[in-house]
Amino acid sequence: MVGRYPDYDVIDAAPMWDEATRRAVEARMRAESCQLCFFAAEEAATLRAFCDVVTAQDGEPRVPVAELVDDKLACGRLDGYQYADMPDDRETWHLVLCGLDEVATRRYARASFGALEDAAREAIVTDFARGALTGGIWDTLNVKRAFSVCMRAVLAAFYSHPWAWNEIGFGGPAYPHGYMRLGPLAVREPYERRGATDEDPVGFAREES
Amino acid sequence: MISTNLFKGSRGPDANDSRYLIAVDRRDLPGEATMRHYEDVDEVDLCIVGAGAGGSVLAQRLARHGWRIVILEAGPFWHPDEDWVSDEAGSHELYWTQKRIIGGADPIELGKNNSGRGVGGSMVHYAGYTPRFHPSDFETRRRDGVGVDWPISYAELRDHYARVERELPVAGQTWPWGDPHAYPFSPHPVSGAASRIWKGALACGIEMRVGPVGIVNGTFGNRPHCIYRGFCLQGCKVNAKASPYVTHLPDALAHGVEVRAKSMAVRVEVDPSGQRALGVSYIQEQHGVERLQRARAVAVCGYSIESPRLLLNSATAGFPHGLCNNDDQVGRYVMVQGATQTAGRYPVEVRMYKAPPPEVSSEVFYETDATRGFARGFSIQTVAPLPIGWAEHVLAEGHWGRALREYMRDYNHWATVGVLNELLPQPDNRVTLADECDQYALPIARFDYTLCDNDKANMAFSARVIREIVQASGAQDILTIQRFAHLIGGCRMGTDPGNSVVSSDQQSWALPNLFICDGSVCPTQGSANPALTIMALASRLAERLAAREVDAGSARPHVELTSSARS
Repeated sequence: MVGRYPDYDVIDAAPMWDEATRRAVEARMRAESCQLCFFAAEEAATLRAFCDVVTAQDGEPRVPVAELVDDKLACGRLDGYQYADMPDDRETWHLVLCGLDEVATRRYARASFGALEDAAREAIVTDFARGALTGGIWDTLNVKRAFSVCMRAVLAAFYSHPWAWNEIGFGGPAYPHGYMRLGPLAVREPYERRGATDEDPVGFAREES
Repeated sequence: MISTNLFKGSRGPDANDSRYLIAVDRRDLPGEATMRHYEDVDEVDLCIVGAGAGGSVLAQRLARHGWRIVILEAGPFWHPDEDWVSDEAGSHELYWTQKRIIGGADPIELGKNNSGRGVGGSMVHYAGYTPRFHPSDFETRRRDGVGVDWPISYAELRDHYARVERELPVAGQTWPWGDPHAYPFSPHPVSGAASRIWKGALACGIEMRVGPVGIVNGTFGNRPHCIYRGFCLQGCKVNAKASPYVTHLPDALAHGVEVRAKSMAVRVEVDPSGQRALGVSYIQEQHGVERLQRARAVAVCGYSIESPRLLLNSATAGFPHGLCNNDDQVGRYVMVQGATQTAGRYPVEVRMYKAPPPEVSSEVFYETDATRGFARGFSIQTVAPLPIGWAEHVLAEGHWGRALREYMRDYNHWATVGVLNELLPQPDNRVTLADECDQYALPIARFDYTLCDNDKANMAFSARVIREIVQASGAQDILTIQRFAHLIGGCRMGTDPGNSVVSSDQQSWALPNLFICDGSVCPTQGSANPALTIMALASRLAERLAAREVDAGSARPHVELTSSARS
């Protein structure tokens, strides 16, 4: 996760955080050692593969997205709404993982999505994001909304982790000390770091999408 | 007005000591341990359902007139030092996340977006913008031929707006739009991110002003100055941002109000004659058994989804389709606001997560302008999503995987501005009961929502305006997300039972001692954030009830009980 803010670790400021916040954030950093309990063992490979592809995590250390999503669903911490044409979010997740395996079998003759190469996974997720997956389970789901249900959980997990904050240079929980350098002149607190580059990444991002 | 203008911050509100009752060193609601407790068999003067913007203000006001009051609140009694965190994902408990079904052509996402749970209600996690409605909002049918006219005018709310603004207190520049007015506290400093947007607006000839926000600038009693940490939407651990938890409930508890937390109202009970409300049946989370709090009057303050749901779940032989629903009006005309946001990318870091997300706003486009091709308008407000919120912006443009990570790495170079479109009230944008039940076997709410052509034209126009602002601000690249915010309507006030659920006094047409006091009573919503108006309406209702200008039958408190309520 080294890159834009190579010398920055938001955890350096953690001794300044209030205890409740520190506890919540530190629990997240231990999540990788948790067992999956909402998802079944046979779903794990596809779950991890999906989380890796959509967050572009291709090496260790990883933000434990699968574990954080599993914890959210196991505890029933849902978002407070369900589209009328969709099942419960928990059911949607099971269906999506099963559906991804179906497509892997149909297109690539592999047993599971988790067994595919990166390029094949990305091709499938590209269609998933566009709502273009069909057949089998996908015909029973509003595919675009299913993608949004899964991505909501994945992004909330990934960007709740201090490693992701380091990557984006986010100052993190600033209580009780607060922020004093609001800009436009000074924009960084003493513990914040300047980005290594000011280059606009939008061109790259457009090519990727 | 002139005095508040000249002596900013020096004049506190009358008849509300909340700012002094709060402790300097703790965030807990003072009085929780010592508050008065009523028995179910005590017939209190008023049972309020929901400890949010409406219910809390109503309770605080009437408690000062000696009313004995119980507030039933479905969510917890907060202890912010331990319960709240400076963290997006960790703030899940602040939101109403019990399941609701969303349908229609344009389903509205609920939960963290617009629904609170717990003592203090949604204002615990609102951003902090506290604009007034414009005088025109109360007569859109007469002026613009759309929506409906309110049974009251702006003039009837003006003094209550000013009073609530002193209680929050609201900080901002003198306001030139709508009914021009000053604010009791000076504007906050503007962050680098919001200054970028402001600069862009000025380049487009669009005037913006700092505020108005319900965030302390300076100190206010024992409430401290804002520390600009940016987590307004995660509950203010500082006590700088206004919510009923700090602005009205401390004073309410000091005057004998009981807040019964984790108590889910299941039914408004009606006497066998069908003429009066008897009280509210509720289930306490820890006990699981249904109990009845008897009351001389009932005020439902559960907001646009839960208030209609409670009424619909309170059907009786006399009200077979739900209480107050014999004219098929309950749950109709629920509104949201279009809330498209556009972000711009700048060559230098702006770090938008610093300072409160609400900073600078404009109501230049608030009123109807026939040349735009649609009725009514929109407001413009700076916002500042934190990382998870920002990831949703990036996803909304279709990015995931490597592209998303690249955009996200660039977070510190972006600033964001949003709109609030006035979307029109429509009968079929409605809360009904779904087939599914919650853990108490109560049918859950279903909310259907579909935009009309005027709504779509308004949203498209406003999206172009903020895009131009961002372009003019020197942005190199732009991201846009289409979304919705806020809830209003569902039990609207009107002139007769055929067009509304409550009268201009928020008194239900069905039962004289049943009131509705929350955002659901608003017939239209303008382009303003609703919190201040919900509080002002509660303040007005309380004033009229206390002065006995509304006849709620035996809801009037016995004078001899007043002294015991204060003991």
